[in-house]
Amino acid sequence: MLRRSLLSMALAGAVAGLAGLPQAHAQDTTVRMWTFLNPAGQSPRDLALAQIIANYEQANPGTKVVVEPQAWDQMTPKFLAAHNSGAAPDVIWVVTDFLGDAIKSGSLADLSQYFIKDWTPEQVADRAGPYWDLTADGDKQYSLFTSRNYISIMYRKDLLAEAGIDPASITTWDGFVEAAKKLTVKDASGQVTRYGFAHGFSENQADPPLMIPYALGKGAELFQEDGKANFTTPEAVEGLTFQTDLIKKHGVMAESAVTWTVDDVYEQFASDRAAMIMGASVRVSTLQGQLGKDKVGLMLWPGSGDKPHSPAVMAGWAVGVWSKSPIAEKAADFVEYMLGPQGDPLWVQVGGQSPGLASTLASMGDFVKQPGNEFLSVVSEGSVNYGWLAPIDYSIGGYRQILNKAAQRVVVNGQDPKAALEEAAAEFNRSHNR
Amino acid sequence: MHSRRAGLIYIVPAFALLGLVLFSPVFYGFWFSLFRIQYGAPTDFIGIGNFMRLLDDPALGGTVRRSAVFAAAAVVLTVAISLALAVWIHKLGERRGFIVQMIVIVPWIISTVVATLLFRWVFVNDIGLALSLARWAGLGEIRILNDPTLAMGLLIAVSVWKRIGYAVIILLAGLKSIPDDYEEAARIDGATGWQVFRRITLPLLKTPLLLVTIVLTLSNLNTVETPLVLTGGGPGDATRILPMDVFDRAFVTYDLGSATALALVMFFGNILLVLAYVRLARWKA
Amino acid sequence: MTTGATTTRMPRNERPLVRRRQWLPGAMGVAIALAFAALAVLNLLPLIWGVLTSLKAETDLFRFPPVIFDFTPTLANYERVIASGFLGNMKMSLFYSAVTVAATLALALPAAYAFDRFDFPLRGPLFLLVVASIPLSLGAAALLIPNYLYFTRLGLTNAWFTLPLIYTAHQLPMAIWIMKGTIEGIPRELDEAAIADGASRFDVLRFVILPLSRPAMGAAGVLTFVGSWNEFVAGSVMVDSPGLRPVQPAIYNFIGFFGREWGPLTASATLAIVPILIAFALLGRLIVSGLTKGSVKG
Repeated sequence: MLRRSLLSMALAGAVAGLAGLPQAHAQDTTVRMWTFLNPAGQSPRDLALAQIIANYEQANPGTKVVVEPQAWDQMTPKFLAAHNSGAAPDVIWVVTDFLGDAIKSGSLADLSQYFIKDWTPEQVADRAGPYWDLTADGDKQYSLFTSRNYISIMYRKDLLAEAGIDPASITTWDGFVEAAKKLTVKDASGQVTRYGFAHGFSENQADPPLMIPYALGKGAELFQEDGKANFTTPEAVEGLTFQTDLIKKHGVMAESAVTWTVDDVYEQFASDRAAMIMGASVRVSTLQGQLGKDKVGLMLWPGSGDKPHSPAVMAGWAVGVWSKSPIAEKAADFVEYMLGPQGDPLWVQVGGQSPGLASTLASMGDFVKQPGNEFLSVVSEGSVNYGWLAPIDYSIGGYRQILNKAAQRVVVNGQDPKAALEEAAAEFNRSHNR
Repeated sequence: MHSRRAGLIYIVPAFALLGLVLFSPVFYGFWFSLFRIQYGAPTDFIGIGNFMRLLDDPALGGTVRRSAVFAAAAVVLTVAISLALAVWIHKLGERRGFIVQMIVIVPWIISTVVATLLFRWVFVNDIGLALSLARWAGLGEIRILNDPTLAMGLLIAVSVWKRIGYAVIILLAGLKSIPDDYEEAARIDGATGWQVFRRITLPLLKTPLLLVTIVLTLSNLNTVETPLVLTGGGPGDATRILPMDVFDRAFVTYDLGSATALALVMFFGNILLVLAYVRLARWKA
Repeated sequence: MTTGATTTRMPRNERPLVRRRQWLPGAMGVAIALAFAALAVLNLLPLIWGVLTSLKAETDLFRFPPVIFDFTPTLANYERVIASGFLGNMKMSLFYSAVTVAATLALALPAAYAFDRFDFPLRGPLFLLVVASIPLSLGAAALLIPNYLYFTRLGLTNAWFTLPLIYTAHQLPMAIWIMKGTIEGIPRELDEAAIADGASRFDVLRFVILPLSRPAMGAAGVLTFVGSWNEFVAGSVMVDSPGLRPVQPAIYNFIGFFGREWGPLTASATLAIVPILIAFALLGRLIVSGLTKGSVKG
């Protein structure tokens, strides 16, 4: 009986498996793309990608775009390995942490030779900004960005309004603490039921901690010219002190924040347990879905005095073409379409992303003004004037985790911020052999 | 004489597969680890340079010690609890035994990351069920993960929780294979229940116990998901264990050379550990 | 499940009533029952919470304090998961797991038979090699990138046989060990009698050992099935084509770059448990009931 059931299971599986095998049409050119999105999926970004691909295939008969969804955190290392073994896809999404490695390894093709050379100056200007500059090298351009992310303060519009706080008025770090104090709510027994601010210090899923905008806003650099850590500047020490004092001194942040991941923080926010959090622009639409479209906004970081706002850390996904792709030209054509004037509006309207082209933002004035969509203009103002992209000239992988660990040591072990950052710098330099 | 050679035919297919999928990649990995790895590709031959880099890391000693404590505690607890449960299930009727067994295996059959995330949400997170209940009962805020010792305790507990099901299945299969007459004979001779267990059951469970101990030790020493999802290694380095170190080297700092070197050192240590277990158990093939 | 009613009434299982008391004295029995009650809460609560979460709409996910039953259940998450092609991933994983179980058992049984019944050169060291390869299969994730390079250079990635090949090798050492334990318990007199009747050594395997090893094959089969069904790392790295994608990467896709989406995540994880439960109903019953003679015998 056992043997028969095993056999029938195997057979059923075999039939199912064969039916599911991809069928290639010989006459078609197939462009393979690796991304963490799944065009069969139902999330807004999945739907946007599916629609862009469908439009492209309709406009280009004979070309098929096949997405091979990957685990996002392994995708770029795997791509670099695949580049060496010859199995890489034609189009690749690269995470900013490994972007420098990807370019230096020669795995990304120069896109100007395919389509940027034909662009008008206006078309180039349409993309001007720090993202363009990051992967440009003289006449060469190795990628176009998508899923641009701006990490600053996400806040509850209703709660701030209730407390009489205008987000635009928070332009200093002291003002920020005052607002957070006002937003911290306690019950009759003195137990905090809602904190003014939340920000996770876990090493798992670490976003760049608050001390970075703080230190950058005061004019410090986070890395030295040679890629060594520059974590022990007075500004950085002050920043870490400020960040941990939100728990230790001001009581506007929960002590458990030390153990929170990025996702934990969003769940605290969704549970009504925090009025402001360190949050990313790419998450605004999700939180609006959980809390209500009119309740979630994004604001810029407070400034350091001379400037109204400190730079926020930006990130995103750089889309490139594999340099050894046999159909690089076709692949480049798709990249241009996906992230150009045809694709960009769909990423915004269907996918809920912030626009990649200045012209998209301009042409979508009504959409941006819809209640809940104002954050899009906050992001575009921020990315142009108050943004910081981590350098890609040298590898900096792990800096967020190491800085978060330093914050944990300050809160849990009571370590002095300066000593914690010295330890962090030593660990960073050692792990990168610098 | 022909049967001496004949036996080999039966094992050749199995060894061919093990050679292709398990053994050769280790040799390839070793060759890989002797080079400077840049952007995922071997470049210059540097001999044991990647291994020497491991020695530069002052934190590694602590991580090894922590991993040993973690694995020892997790394995001892898992084996003890699973053995008690298996003995109990063995004595239940078939239907009740099956139900109990199904309850016991639940954490093991759910994907590790999802199971750990759910456990963390329900029992550890302050917006979860358990801590909301505790707060309602007037127990105030409970912050297990903020305390280095408690966080390690929780990591051990979750690792035990996740693997009990597996251990129970193997031990139960072992118990079911012990002929009833052995125990009956001992009881007729006046042995107590405990004596029967000590003198008859336990020795006859030696092989499954050894298998379970080996697999549990190795899976605890090599699983990155549980610590990564539960604690992220914190607070500080309190729950940072070896597989996290390999993972960080490979996928966070992208230092594949030292990641591969560390993985190989761990393989070697794991194999020594297995041989030591087999030796200690005076177990013969 | 229905066949259970008949098989429970085996005389063998009516005896323990008396023996249990002698075996586990009152206090110890109570302690174990209490410990089990605690374990049941620890095991079932996250499961129940997960299933409830899969039935919640986005707006009910993080209501605070947490709600247990006070919400309107919806199947939207399941619809979303199925629309994203999850059933295709499940079919693929079923295929991978079934092939892996069949291949593992087919390779492990002869090997275990040879290790127990034959005396060939290097028998002891070779068996130790099998035991020592358990670490290699459990730790394979640590060598992910070199392994990926190795398998792509051999042209073994991104094919229908890629994952069954890897999974079979991973599960084989353990299966050989479990089955050897069983074969040790099968009296050699049976082999000898068969050979005296003119059977070859292969006939002995086929007609004597195989039928008597079925319970062990059930145990090894279940472990192999769960192992390959729940494998994530190789499944996400060694195949690329959407049509070859197994179930675990599809589940983890809901813990994506843009955060964990609890609704579809728990819905897909719930769907993924079903085949395991079926595998247990088919094979697992052998473990609690069928193993009258040596499965993992010392």
